[in-house]
Amino acid sequence: MLKKRFFSIFISLVITMLLISSISIMAQEETIKIGVVGPRTGPAAATGVAFEEGIELALDYINTTKGGILGKKVEVIFEDTGGVPEKAASAIEKLITRDKVSIVVGESHSSCALAEIEIANRYEVPFIIAEAWVDEVTSKGYKWIFRAGPCNSGVVDNIIQWIVAEDFKKIMIVAENTDWGLGIKKLSEEGLQKEGIPYNSIITAVESQEYYTELNKIIDYAPDLILAYIYGFGVHDFIAQAYEVGLSPANALILEGAGPPSLWPEFWENVGEAGELECFVSAMHSKVELTEVAKRFREDYVKKFNREPTDYKSRSIYNVLLIAADAIERAGSTDGEEIVKALEETELEVASGVVKFGLEPGTVKYHQWQPPMLIIQWQNREQIVVFPKEAATGELKRGK
Amino acid sequence: MKKSSKNLLLVIFLGIVVCLPFLLDDYWLHVAILTLFYVIMASSWNLLAGYTGQVSFAHAAFAAIGAYISGILSVQMSISPLITLLFGSVIAAIFGLGLGLLCLKMGGIYLSLTTLGFSEIVHIIIKNEYEITRGTMGLEVPNLLGFYSKTAYFYIMLSITFIIIFFLAKLIKSDLGLKFKSVLNDELAASSIGIDTVKVRVIAFTISSAIAGFAGGLYGHYLLLITPEMSSLSQMFMILAMTIIGGMGTLSGPIAGAVFLQVLSEYIRIFGKFHLLLFGVISLLVIKFAPGGIVGLYRKITQSKTDLLKIETQSKYDY
Repeated sequence: MLKKRFFSIFISLVITMLLISSISIMAQEETIKIGVVGPRTGPAAATGVAFEEGIELALDYINTTKGGILGKKVEVIFEDTGGVPEKAASAIEKLITRDKVSIVVGESHSSCALAEIEIANRYEVPFIIAEAWVDEVTSKGYKWIFRAGPCNSGVVDNIIQWIVAEDFKKIMIVAENTDWGLGIKKLSEEGLQKEGIPYNSIITAVESQEYYTELNKIIDYAPDLILAYIYGFGVHDFIAQAYEVGLSPANALILEGAGPPSLWPEFWENVGEAGELECFVSAMHSKVELTEVAKRFREDYVKKFNREPTDYKSRSIYNVLLIAADAIERAGSTDGEEIVKALEETELEVASGVVKFGLEPGTVKYHQWQPPMLIIQWQNREQIVVFPKEAATGELKRGK
Repeated sequence: MKKSSKNLLLVIFLGIVVCLPFLLDDYWLHVAILTLFYVIMASSWNLLAGYTGQVSFAHAAFAAIGAYISGILSVQMSISPLITLLFGSVIAAIFGLGLGLLCLKMGGIYLSLTTLGFSEIVHIIIKNEYEITRGTMGLEVPNLLGFYSKTAYFYIMLSITFIIIFFLAKLIKSDLGLKFKSVLNDELAASSIGIDTVKVRVIAFTISSAIAGFAGGLYGHYLLLITPEMSSLSQMFMILAMTIIGGMGTLSGPIAGAVFLQVLSEYIRIFGKFHLLLFGVISLLVIKFAPGGIVGLYRKITQSKTDLLKIETQSKYDY
């Protein structure tokens, strides 16, 4: 009896799943499909939530305000990568071969992006990356790959300009031993060398939670700025311990080079007082609206979610969806070749600026658009934009 | 079920499997290739846990060792992956032998803990030795065949899966297989009749590590990317779940478990972030209502039908 009941429950479950998938397949027929890849589970699941918010707002705008593209509604299929390259490769393969999307956008992990670009390139489907910073994404020179988001080289250029403008004298670079950390460290060293600014570097283990050995070396070197290229909660530990040993902000400021960890809800809980005067890189600030689209994004966001946007990745995915929709509309079809041509001719205002992809093959600038990055400092738990000067909402404060 | 009907069913099943590249689209063929990888992994872990009673958590780590050795040799020394695959398998076997000699005297929880520690050590080394392994970014490796073809890769994986399962079936039925089972059933009784239980366990551990290393290499050269995720505990638990849900200690159990969980995870993808929750609930349901796994449940059903038939036949002649 129990066996029978179990079987009927199980079979009902399977039938329900099949029905749901077939209904969704039927509903998808008269739409233009855009695939999104990003982490919805795993340590970076917060990015998945930000992506979901950005997708909702973009679809509202494209389908409701604009009435769709090429006379059809746009449908987004969001596949989870879990932040794992193998899963990411499977996810994009599913979007391309099973869901038959016209274009793929998204991603926030460099390792996943490097796996995905190979698949998109093999199937010849356009792919616009939103938030994976590693230079190889565009420097590989793949025709089908675009990036409308920061790349390590672009971020470092911005940081070096700020260092020069603020006249920092001695820099310590602390980088985690991932390709992102090591890559951005190398670029920073080259930039500092070019500007003739003295620097020193330390590499830390990616899982590290205890930085006292590194901090002793930093104290000996006596820098006035520390570039912390550590992602995740590790950077919170680093900031808290640097404060504990009296290094920061009293003797040296910290610039967190990734951005989002300084905006995560756990930030103040983890760092406490140590967060004061910490600087970080970000593409978004609630009081800095570089374009009309940025204003519209913020208003729509507040209307829909009853709060201010904090994670700039919601805006990054919003931007790339607008770029994809615009390219399909100008291409006049969902043909991959036509979309790539249209993307190469893009000149579109999005929330971070006016998008225009680089066309210099063999360089990181190929199919790359670098949005302006802001350097923000926490002052009395308020985000103050300190660089670039034209977007600044206040002056940089030093510890001494 | 009669043996002839069983054989007919098996032939039909094999016929369908062989025709899969003509029936499936590219994505489902990709899923089928991954399923075959999991069939090899779960079957080789089953040799260890299901036939000798050693619960090791290092199986995914051995797969990663095989994959990285094969990948690094093919990338840095430009050796054909067809050769480096064997190197990967041999190195994984050597690690298996070493770990086996070190900790198989312990058995039980101590063996599980030591293998868990070993697995974590491998994971950390892969992540941190980025100059050799490329750390979290993953190591890009060449294709096994020199060209990309899902159909060709499917047939390669299928042939290797058949060979491995045939080998395992023969092994289990051999004298050595009998020793495995005697160690599983009663270690003390096995030693009392002169079986060197540690030696038997080490042999099983080495064979299963070699198979895992070989499977890992195949997986890496198919995906063209090897990352530390391969040696992660989540990967290990997936293999463990496939074996238990399919039916541990049976040849067909890990096959059924791997197919069931792979297909299931594809169907529950549409539930987005809730798919992990659903995955857990369905797995729990199977464990709760079918503790012998899918194969155990199938056997129970067919057994009870046979019993019913026997009773009916008997009652016909009872008066």
